[in-house]
Amino acid sequence: MISSDKLNRSHTGADRRQFVSTLLSLGGLAVAGQALGWEPSFAWAETTAKDASSGTPTLAHYPQKTELILLTDRPPQLETPVHYLLSDLTPNDAFFVRWHLSGIPTKVDLNTFRLEVSGKVNKPLSLSLNELQSKFEPVSLVAFTQCAGNFRSWFEPRVAGGQWGAGAMGNARWKGVRLKDVLDAAGVQAGAVQVGLRGLDIPPTDKTPVFQKSLTMDHARHGEVMIAYEMNGAPLPMLNGYPIRLVVPGWYATYWVKSLAYISVLDQPLKTFWMDKAYRIPDNPGANEEPQHLASVTVPINEMAVHSVFLKPAPGEQLRAGQRYELAGVANDGGSGIHRVEVSTDGGQTWSDATLGADLGKYSWRQWKSDWTPAAKGTYKLMVRATTNNGEKQATAQWNRSGYQRDVIEHQDVVVA
Amino acid sequence: MNRWKSLWLMVAVALVGTLAQQMQSQSKPQPSAASQHFAGEGQVQQITLPQITPQILPGPNLAVYQKNCLICHSARYVSMQPRFPKAVWQAEVKKMVDAYGAQIPEADQALIVEYLVAVRGSDAPPGTPAPAK
Repeated sequence: MISSDKLNRSHTGADRRQFVSTLLSLGGLAVAGQALGWEPSFAWAETTAKDASSGTPTLAHYPQKTELILLTDRPPQLETPVHYLLSDLTPNDAFFVRWHLSGIPTKVDLNTFRLEVSGKVNKPLSLSLNELQSKFEPVSLVAFTQCAGNFRSWFEPRVAGGQWGAGAMGNARWKGVRLKDVLDAAGVQAGAVQVGLRGLDIPPTDKTPVFQKSLTMDHARHGEVMIAYEMNGAPLPMLNGYPIRLVVPGWYATYWVKSLAYISVLDQPLKTFWMDKAYRIPDNPGANEEPQHLASVTVPINEMAVHSVFLKPAPGEQLRAGQRYELAGVANDGGSGIHRVEVSTDGGQTWSDATLGADLGKYSWRQWKSDWTPAAKGTYKLMVRATTNNGEKQATAQWNRSGYQRDVIEHQDVVVA
Repeated sequence: MNRWKSLWLMVAVALVGTLAQQMQSQSKPQPSAASQHFAGEGQVQQITLPQITPQILPGPNLAVYQKNCLICHSARYVSMQPRFPKAVWQAEVKKMVDAYGAQIPEADQALIVEYLVAVRGSDAPPGTPAPAK
């Protein structure tokens, strides 16, 4: 068996060939195993993914993580089971994982790790973690993040991509330093328009675009964008971006570059697949288009849309007539904060206010609860909608080709027995 | 895995979740002490990724699919997908070549589309909801 290091960083043709032959033999083993009656060990997990096409969801136990729902293993995409989302802060070991390139960092040596700041700066920097922690003022905030494609499996018609349910999201208390302070220390030159951001992950072939994102200079120098070295009071798990990741409050997680290692200050907008081709949405407020009439103009996904969702009842959970039940879920937006969450148990004919949980700041999600005692047996259509402090409301219908930026008012059928 | 085992697992998962939540709400992070305990954890962090059983769906041209596609990603990228019309799979293969730099000979591309349609295809015209498997 080849080492994990090689597995994750194979670049040369020889390595690739060896890699593929290893894979082929693994595949052969799996087929042989099935023929001999060895079943892969699938475990039940509460998942909100719609008709996961592989049948029962598989749980996987990755280092520094609890058992999470396995979407893919190379690169890893791991979804948080719903019950972990019912607390104000999502535990680090349950926080979702999403990498783009198979060459993910599995080893970081702080003696040699440096955050490089280069480009249109007066003084290029090469900062160790210790320098980052000792030379800059620490800041802390609670911020929610989610994959741009969280809830992708809920779109109809279905769209290709990571088939996430609700669990590609989480809320954490981040501690780190301001990106602004680091840029100021380097001295941004006149004419700089963007910063490019890149982590330690490596593409599987030399033709595959490196994962790099960009923010405008104004956004990068907004004091709330953070280079975080702590998550909920502890170092980041390796799979969540150890030793440092970008925190872009209110924006989708695609910008929260993990294992951040390269900051380049640019005098031209960054040309990269990950901004120009991927992670783009129709250029309208609801990120809407029709399958037969795709939007001709798209823009990079950006601030998170207002959205709310049921976490209780779980899909398929049965309730009892005449028995009090506590509906619960979360709501989020892109940074004004959640003002109100309303719940309907009659398919939207009547609405009542849910009780909001702790207010941990405008970038945090907001837990909500609502007591309900279904009077009679039958099937009920539950709905939930949120309003932001800015007065923004959720959409009544939404679809786009990539399954991004879910913001539609969610329905959930529940059976009362 | 039989039903009872699954049920016990569900109960166990729920219990662990509840405990984790309680621990979470009880332990307030101590920001001031954090950089010290961080440094105290050692200068080298390393993890070993688990070996996950490949989920390779049997179908025509399987070897061509394995040879070309699994260089960059595991087979679960396909097995997790719902069913899609052929046009969607053609676009996916084209995306892998044009955008992600997959070096797949043209003849192989068509064979891979055949495989994908066989394992995750639908007869519905593009834009109509894909039936669940």
